[in-house]
Amino acid sequence: MNATVTAKKQWTKGFRFWSDREDLLGPLFLLPAVVYIIALVGIPFVIALAYSVTDVTVGNTSLDFVGLQNFQAILKTPQFKQGLGNSIMFTLVSQVIIIVLANILAIILSADFRGKWFARFLIMLPWATPITLGTIGWLWLLDSKFSPIDWVFRYLHLLGEPGALLGAQKNLFYLARLELARASIIMIYVWRMLPLAAVILMAGLTSIPQDLLDQADVDGASFWRTLFQIKLPLILPIMSIALLFSLIFTVGDMAVVYTLTRGGPVYYTQILPTWAFYKGIESGALAEGAATALFLFPVLLAVAILVLRFSRRTEVT
Amino acid sequence: MSVIEITGLSKDFDAVRAVNGVDLAIQEGELLVVLGPSGCGKTTLMRMIAGLEKPTSGTVSIGGLNVTALPPRARPIAMVFQSYALYPHMTVFNNIAFPLRARGKMSKTDIRDKVRWAASTLGIEALLERKPRQLSGGERQRVALGRALVKEPKVLLLDEPLSNLDAKLRASARDELQSFQRRLGITTIFVTHDQIEALGMGDRIVVMSQGKVMQIGTPQEVYHNSVNTFVASFLGSPGMNFVRRGHYLLGFRPEQFVPQEIAGSKDNLQLFNFDVTRVEYLGAEQQVYGVVEGSSDERKVISSLSSETHIKLETGNTYVFGVQKQQLRYFDYETGLSIDPQPL
Repeated sequence: MNATVTAKKQWTKGFRFWSDREDLLGPLFLLPAVVYIIALVGIPFVIALAYSVTDVTVGNTSLDFVGLQNFQAILKTPQFKQGLGNSIMFTLVSQVIIIVLANILAIILSADFRGKWFARFLIMLPWATPITLGTIGWLWLLDSKFSPIDWVFRYLHLLGEPGALLGAQKNLFYLARLELARASIIMIYVWRMLPLAAVILMAGLTSIPQDLLDQADVDGASFWRTLFQIKLPLILPIMSIALLFSLIFTVGDMAVVYTLTRGGPVYYTQILPTWAFYKGIESGALAEGAATALFLFPVLLAVAILVLRFSRRTEVT
Repeated sequence: MSVIEITGLSKDFDAVRAVNGVDLAIQEGELLVVLGPSGCGKTTLMRMIAGLEKPTSGTVSIGGLNVTALPPRARPIAMVFQSYALYPHMTVFNNIAFPLRARGKMSKTDIRDKVRWAASTLGIEALLERKPRQLSGGERQRVALGRALVKEPKVLLLDEPLSNLDAKLRASARDELQSFQRRLGITTIFVTHDQIEALGMGDRIVVMSQGKVMQIGTPQEVYHNSVNTFVASFLGSPGMNFVRRGHYLLGFRPEQFVPQEIAGSKDNLQLFNFDVTRVEYLGAEQQVYGVVEGSSDERKVISSLSSETHIKLETGNTYVFGVQKQQLRYFDYETGLSIDPQPL
């Protein structure tokens, strides 16, 4: 009797008591994540929602409800329209390029060759670089006067002499010319997101059972048939998740445009996140900034739900 | 003429020799079972026949054509994997049609007719629109067979096709597979580690161990005239008993090792004093474990008896057991090889 009491005392006091109490530990371990999400995602989101339907500015912080006036107002400005168009175009074009290149890269990297780990390491580098630093690197590479890319073109006689393929001028002025500036931004998005997408797809490819690939081989399928009828359909669920990640990272990013072009020339490379920042923070029009930032939210939410449902539906095992 | 001719086939995986100098000739329409414990190289042998592994040395000929350097898709073979490897995202119809579409040059109606023919041969017409995950183990096996059949291969390779089925289903699947093979007359190589499947289904059995072929023969030959102690003990459940007598190992099957009263006339019997250590009741039969007196080593000896037998055997007692002399097999104690001719 006495022994049981002592044992019970030790039990309830000790570390082992805690380590067996899932009902207490569960909420405890979840707490940091919940606090983090509420404080840094939930509250700002609610504030942004509130701001977008009021007349708040940096100068006048009283919240007076104005309905959808902010949305009507921003829709009339050419900068917003340009930003919306650019956001959609940059994202769509970069995602198409990313998904094609990521598939090719994943297939190459999941093959067996010497120096595979080194190639994988190199591929991952853009993802490991802070995005702003990476973009500054590109800013230098695309410099109007000192671009090393232009050096190479001049060295190859493709630029800077009469009759050269890329023109007689000394530089291409990547960020000063509309099409080149847009292409540069898209290229940096691709450069940035490709590693993540490729690694996710590679994981998908390696998870295909070898038996299935052997069977396809015995069944007489060529490389392309195996790729398009076996491999790609089987990694479709994971591919849609990779696409969703890449899409949301790209559409919500402002660092690339902010660092590279600041929305220029004029406002022709402006995107919604940068325009929201300039409008809401730099010019102090908090309400219109919030409305701009939130504009794509319903669309993104719908896209995310659709992609996740698609991914679930195409899952086969 | 043999459909498949294998000469000096070897395969090294780094330092390990998985298959070691295998010679094999497989006859038209025959069901050849490759039997061996796991890791004996039987699956590697089959994968080399299929072209999925490149042999380190040796050649494989199918239908008189040397295919050693050819990829799987250029060989007239079909294979059913242990996992059945059905394409999970395709319907049963598309699974079966896959090899036909891969080969090309076949019209849609021809493909449909061919798939329907395979499906009706295997009794799976009702399943054509289903996905593999909606099928039972036995149904999956039939789909995999159907997919192999539509290719009209010269040789059908089956890699442990029954091991994914539960024990009850396996017996009927054995019967079905064998009658199906007989009906189509398709040359079949069947890899298994299960000696019951091997004895029950094979026209001939190839027993493998450590990458080498130990014996090739009909089920009766390999069971009753095993060439060495490995084959003798691997076949049968339980395997052959061995008792040492000088330079010899005396081998006899558990079902041939019976109490003297049952064995009958003494003249033709080799008698042993059998110390019973355990009696295991297994329903229809019982297995009696013990040690034979006078054996130079203390190997366990097993006797399989019908449970109906009237003789009461009790643990701890010694009984006189006998084996018909012509059923005794002699092996060399050192090499384990069967002595030929058998000294009587």
